[in-house]
Amino acid sequence: MSTDDLANELTRRTENAPQELLTRAFFFFCAVLSIVTTVAIIVLLTTEAAKFFSLTASLLGVEGQTVSLVDFFTGTTWQTSTGEYGVLPLVAGTLMVVIGSAIIALPLGVGTAIYLSEYASPRLRSKLKPALEILAGIPTVVYGFFALIYITPALGTVLPDIAFFNMASAAIVVGIMIIPMVASISEDAMSAVPDELREAGYGLGATKFDVSAGVVVPAAASGIFSSFILALSRAIGETMAVTIAAGSQARFLNPIDPTAYLEGAMPMTAAMIQLLTGDITGGGLAYRSLFAIGLTLFAITLLMNVISDLVAARYREEYE
Amino acid sequence: MPSRVISPAGSARHLASIAIVFLDVLPPLVWLGYVLALALPLAASVAIERVDRQLPFLARFGLLAALLVASLLFVPGVVTSMPTVPTGSIIVAVTLGGPIAAIVGRFAAGRLENRRTGLAVGGGSFLAVLGAAFLGSSVGLAALPATILTSVSLVPAAAYVLVVAIDRPGRRIGLLLPAVVFGGALLGAVVVDAMNFAGPNSWIDWGFLTGVHNSSSAAAAGFYPVIGGSIILMVIVAVLAFPLGVGTAVYLEEYAPDNRFTRIIDVNISNLAGVPSVVYGLLGLGLFITYLGESPGTALVGGATLGLLILPIVIISAREAIRSVPDSMRQASYGMGATRWQTVKNVVLPEAFPGILTGTILAIGRAIGETAPLVVVGLPSVIYSLPTDLSSSVGAMPMQIYAWASLYAGPGFYNSAVPAGVVVLLVVLLAMNSVAIALRNRYQREN
Amino acid sequence: MSNEEPTTEARTSAPDRSSATTSVDAGEETSDRAAEPDRTIVEARNIDVWYDEDQALRDVSMEVPEKKVTAMIGPSGCGKSTFLRCINRMNDLVDAARVEGELLLGSKNVYDADVDPIALRRRVGIVFQKPNPFPKSIYDNVAYGLEIQDVEGGHDAIVERSLERAALWEEVEDRLEESGLELSGGQQQRLCIARAIATDPEVLLMDEPASALDPIATNQIEDLIEDLAEEYTVIIVTHNMQQAARISDKTAVFLTGGELVEFDDTRQVFESPQSQRVEDYITGKFG
Repeated sequence: MSTDDLANELTRRTENAPQELLTRAFFFFCAVLSIVTTVAIIVLLTTEAAKFFSLTASLLGVEGQTVSLVDFFTGTTWQTSTGEYGVLPLVAGTLMVVIGSAIIALPLGVGTAIYLSEYASPRLRSKLKPALEILAGIPTVVYGFFALIYITPALGTVLPDIAFFNMASAAIVVGIMIIPMVASISEDAMSAVPDELREAGYGLGATKFDVSAGVVVPAAASGIFSSFILALSRAIGETMAVTIAAGSQARFLNPIDPTAYLEGAMPMTAAMIQLLTGDITGGGLAYRSLFAIGLTLFAITLLMNVISDLVAARYREEYE
Repeated sequence: MPSRVISPAGSARHLASIAIVFLDVLPPLVWLGYVLALALPLAASVAIERVDRQLPFLARFGLLAALLVASLLFVPGVVTSMPTVPTGSIIVAVTLGGPIAAIVGRFAAGRLENRRTGLAVGGGSFLAVLGAAFLGSSVGLAALPATILTSVSLVPAAAYVLVVAIDRPGRRIGLLLPAVVFGGALLGAVVVDAMNFAGPNSWIDWGFLTGVHNSSSAAAAGFYPVIGGSIILMVIVAVLAFPLGVGTAVYLEEYAPDNRFTRIIDVNISNLAGVPSVVYGLLGLGLFITYLGESPGTALVGGATLGLLILPIVIISAREAIRSVPDSMRQASYGMGATRWQTVKNVVLPEAFPGILTGTILAIGRAIGETAPLVVVGLPSVIYSLPTDLSSSVGAMPMQIYAWASLYAGPGFYNSAVPAGVVVLLVVLLAMNSVAIALRNRYQREN
Repeated sequence: MSNEEPTTEARTSAPDRSSATTSVDAGEETSDRAAEPDRTIVEARNIDVWYDEDQALRDVSMEVPEKKVTAMIGPSGCGKSTFLRCINRMNDLVDAARVEGELLLGSKNVYDADVDPIALRRRVGIVFQKPNPFPKSIYDNVAYGLEIQDVEGGHDAIVERSLERAALWEEVEDRLEESGLELSGGQQQRLCIARAIATDPEVLLMDEPASALDPIATNQIEDLIEDLAEEYTVIIVTHNMQQAARISDKTAVFLTGGELVEFDDTRQVFESPQSQRVEDYITGKFG
């Protein structure tokens, strides 16, 4: 081939061929869509929530009923029929779910993770990990029903005062629900701990328990911590199980009073479902209050995810 | 290893139930029409491959597509209007029993490494199916179910037992487990029947699976519209989320330069995966219903909302699958002068496909178990029919369970309809998840 | 720019690959070929390569003769693989890599703005250190380059010829539909060579093609490379000095820091190197 032909051939552009351009454009479009989704969520939540609050609604020039920021964040009554939109009872309800589920899920989840990572044979682990995944795939409405039909009566045999709808069974069932999440992320973190650390422990004559509790868990601490945050963020956002189990009465309960868990209350997510199954009209104050709660929820969970990312990034750096 | 023995037996049973439902819907003659309509182009494609490998792909594709369309248009009509036709059970025996006998024969020949035994097993199977077609009615079963049962369940199971018994004497003990299970179940049924035990009532019966909601009587309540609704939602979710999710994953792994924009998308997606599902419901409500003016509760709105919900999960799992494709494959392709798209199409996607599929199935399983976003976008809690198009209302299994557990709360529903619905939903989800996990384990072992 | 600009008038003559074998020395003995006056096919002019802040190649200039085996040797990290990957611009795939200088293929600087790296790679084949056949059939592996370049018509003849040239045809003749991954390591590497030459490239780059293979497979690859030089320009990177001495006509010695220290006929380099450092390296005093 003459050199000129070669030069000619080398300058034959391929990257502008129609299928190259089309596919590249399609893939780029897909990626952009994920940004659009986030932006849409934020814009929607903030604009609708802005119409809810008197301070921002006047800035937007929106007419109609509004609620002041102070009333929303400090009010202790949530009663949409009388126009009382105090979010504290809902936040208290959510907090109770978080506290209760944390008491159940954190020790059990970490225990499961320690067992899987340190004690179980590889063969057993290969069977148990998919089982955990399947547990995580059970729909939340099923967990809710489980709480109502089994957990509440079971609690009733021990605590006769318990209400049919109560926070205890809601918190327990959410706890059960997030165990797989805690276990699987913690197990990943523990498996990432290098064997040399374990061998150092064994070399000093430590028992398996000493090594697990004294070496592996501290070394995987940031991963375990990040699993806690993610799981609790899931508990905060959990909707159907708590809606079914905890009822729809927005009581303002004290989350650190154990007897309060015997009563029913309404976490934030349950309040949203209750608003929707009630007769809300599009564009009304109740409709906008949905977005106000949604924005609060989104902000909390986003913050928790970011924190967990930062913590998890630390443990990845430590051992990779 | 008993599980190795159970799984073929179990899947045969599974297939049998599917086949029976299927043929219950489809008359044997119509079935024959479609079997022939599909068999003809298939035979033609084999013939083309044999005769001329050099034919350009487009010509081959066009020819076969035309043949397929023509055949599907005309052959069923011709078959159903034939003056003399064989009976239904003979049709099924030939069209279903024939291929199954062939497969069974091949399997036996392969495992025993003996063509003649395989031939004998295949021939015996076919004879058994034909026998069932003729003799079915004399043992108290109608000819058609007897044929189907024999061909999809009895014959494969018997052949499998035979082959294992001959081929792996050490595994014979494993055959005991399914035998004990099925034998025990049969024995139990006989005993219960003979001694008039009052067993618990099963709520998952034909009436439950094919009936519709009934607010006054839990016993009469059915699950049919929401099973169909969930399947329709699943299809919409898959159609929306699969290409978008895989597309984003391909962009991020294969195209994206390492710049700030890419990192923003990266962080963004991992955070999107952590947003509570009820907030996605609000997104659907605000975006599709308030701003785009769709009516609440339609199949499209429900499917699109669920699609957005699982999009980040699909993206993350697809990225992992793509990342696990060895870089040496890409290097080889680029080194040959392949463009990006050629590399993605020929090398990356085929290699990553099982992983992508696993992630997508798991994500879709999550989508059809979701309730909260569907409540938010206004899916009806009671629905009596399947949607006729994308913009009519659709039901979903978890929605119906929620409605029964809340709106119609009471012992009647708590003790019957709700658990029955939960079991159906769980069976569907566990089946999907098991398929996905099995797929992944198999794929991981290969690598 | 000193090279002849690619002329636009040349577009009329269609590339005719089969007529490229008019070179006088084709088919003759390796040692004889070295003596003939050579035509340069690849010419590097002051190539510098950086990965971020680290300079991997320093001011490399060399002329690679057509239809010869040119070996590049040197201790690990000396930049010999980097240089190889400059020739077909595989370095473009590494975000951090930056190349300066001119690299001429024929008369065209491949780093000119109007050169498409993909078109370049279609004319410059590459074989990697670890055999990397696609998880496709043997046939499809060899036909891959033809597929992606939309070469019309049947590929059977080209697949057969390429496998024959790669000395693999007899072993796989009856199993073309089997996966390329079923083959042994040495067979896989010859499959990769068949794949690379199926599109009839101007230059064949080989990045330590035998280092992952056992001695017998290595021998086969070495014999194959000598045969290939009858039709192709082969540029091979190797860390094995004996291998370079056995099969190459020209040898380039890179030493730590990315410098090309010596480039000459292989016999010259190994028998009487100009530079003391090269002599130390070759006699095993370092590296």
